[in-house]
Amino acid sequence: MKLRIVATLVLLLPGAATWAANSMSISQESDIEYGYIGGVGTRGGGVNIGSVDEHSADLKYVVSPQLNKDLLLRIGFEWQRFSFGVPDHAPLPSVLQQASLVLGFDYQVADEWLMRVEVQPGIYSDFRDIKLRDVDAPLVIGAAYLASADLQWFFGLRVDVRTQYPVLPAVGVRWKFSDEWTLDFMLPKPRLEYDVNDKLQLYLGAEIQAGTFAVGQNFGTPRGQPKLDNAIVDYLELHLGSGCSWKITPTVTIEAEAGFMPYRSFDFFDPNIVFRSHNAPYGQIACHARF
Amino acid sequence: MRWLAAFYTVGLCCALSVAALAADSGPVESLKSFSDFQQVDLNRLLAGDVLSERGSLMDFPNGISSQTCFMVPVSAEETAKRLQLWDPSPHGELKVFAFHALHAPCELADFQQLDFKTRQRSVRWLLDKTIAFTPVKSDLNLTHDEAQQLAACVQKRADPQKVSDCWAKLLLGRASAFQQKGLDGAQPYDTVGESVSPPVQLRTMLREQLAIAREFSPILKRIGLLGNETVPSLTPFYYWTLFDADYHGTISLGAVYQLAVGDHYQLVDLEYYVSGNYYTSATLFEVWPVEVGGTPGALVWRGDFFAAPMLAFTKGTERIAYGALMLQDIKKEIHCFQDEAKTKR
Repeated sequence: MKLRIVATLVLLLPGAATWAANSMSISQESDIEYGYIGGVGTRGGGVNIGSVDEHSADLKYVVSPQLNKDLLLRIGFEWQRFSFGVPDHAPLPSVLQQASLVLGFDYQVADEWLMRVEVQPGIYSDFRDIKLRDVDAPLVIGAAYLASADLQWFFGLRVDVRTQYPVLPAVGVRWKFSDEWTLDFMLPKPRLEYDVNDKLQLYLGAEIQAGTFAVGQNFGTPRGQPKLDNAIVDYLELHLGSGCSWKITPTVTIEAEAGFMPYRSFDFFDPNIVFRSHNAPYGQIACHARF
Repeated sequence: MRWLAAFYTVGLCCALSVAALAADSGPVESLKSFSDFQQVDLNRLLAGDVLSERGSLMDFPNGISSQTCFMVPVSAEETAKRLQLWDPSPHGELKVFAFHALHAPCELADFQQLDFKTRQRSVRWLLDKTIAFTPVKSDLNLTHDEAQQLAACVQKRADPQKVSDCWAKLLLGRASAFQQKGLDGAQPYDTVGESVSPPVQLRTMLREQLAIAREFSPILKRIGLLGNETVPSLTPFYYWTLFDADYHGTISLGAVYQLAVGDHYQLVDLEYYVSGNYYTSATLFEVWPVEVGGTPGALVWRGDFFAAPMLAFTKGTERIAYGALMLQDIKKEIHCFQDEAKTKR
């Protein structure tokens, strides 16, 4: 049976024979995150919703078979959930969720240039009544310029036709300016890192959590905001904080951080109703594995 | 009008140089027969470019390799000689703090330049690691016996001179054993969690590159990396060096062998001991004579094989990036060598 699967793979993909022979030709990455943001006053559209707290979770798994010396596929899935403690009948979704595939590739374009193309087709909604409008496929195109072992530049473009800003460019840099210090200024998690030793790292940083989701067909009317029926919401959350990262094995790292959230918005841009929150404490833990 | 004539004259000279090289297709064909370079643009090489290819993924998880090809504007014989004896320490960008030849048999005085009193942060890192060293757990590559000796010698004293003396004794033992027994004298590292033998690692990597191993079999057999020969029948250039590897001070002991094979030369530069950060490396060179515009030059193929513990955990895109960055460092070194060759013709 195993032989048949390998034989089929060989027919399908030219690199499959290499995978079967070499465990180094398949890499996997797994990221699990959980975060909590304390209750904070939220208002918008002439409505004061009151205190809203938040639980968030993210689970991502990607397997990357190497097809040839320069090309890796990326196949996986991601599930992300924002869960808000909102009062009954408040015009905010209690859940925003993403369940998507991860499909893409990494390619070495030139000696110093690597590129990544990744699309995440899936359902992005409040998961009340899933319909075609809940389906989205944001695309990320990124390139890395390896100037040296200590300096790398990153250029990215996020394309999502459903959002208010369908094309978002970004530039980042990773600069290791001493043995202990690294400026890892890359979205969505720019950081200034300090290596205490080979296993422990402290950091100051920021994070942008964002997504575009569809809410239910009858979301607004029972909440006194009929314009929000079937609307699209751009969700944005900023974090500023500090944390530590502990490499418990060469392949597994756990992180814990805390700080405050200076800004959060639910932007229903079509009816132009925005709900905002400011300044709430948050805590987050994460586990990242690369194997 | 004169500039136009000069332009044509220069252009004609360049064309003739290339023609002379193209006619002498022997080295190029030979290079293509075993290397990853199937397209060799001599014009680019003449202009000082370095062709480079990341090695394909190895089954051996700790191994990585790369290939480069370049030209040197001195004869093949002279190039081979310079490659064997090359001292990279005058080139600051290579971050080599010390590079010294060893006598055969080597003596303690050969290591008297080993200096931990420097203000270099990476050397300070090695000093700190040595002072904090315990025979049970360490980032340093040592045998159990060496670990005991080093701990007893240093006795946690933060005296750079004392640490230099302790390292010098340890290196003398390693170098003497290698000079007497060849690769059989390169003892495995025991303090890294498992027994790691540099010669075994080098052989494993070479076994995965059969075309290269076949091409270099004349010299690899003579130095004991292939075949049954245990004590090398070639006399190498022995050296020790102290350099920065990813912000970490690193000491290594190496030997560079050279062998004339017909009209060309083969060289192997192998590090039979590395203090930490990685396990071992071997650099293979093949040097062919070519004629560049009527003057003798050399076409050089270089293959680098490198074994490091962290590579086993570096997969996917990270590994591609690692290979690309490794090639950058190698090309930097080659450019320094070429520049030196140009100025010391």
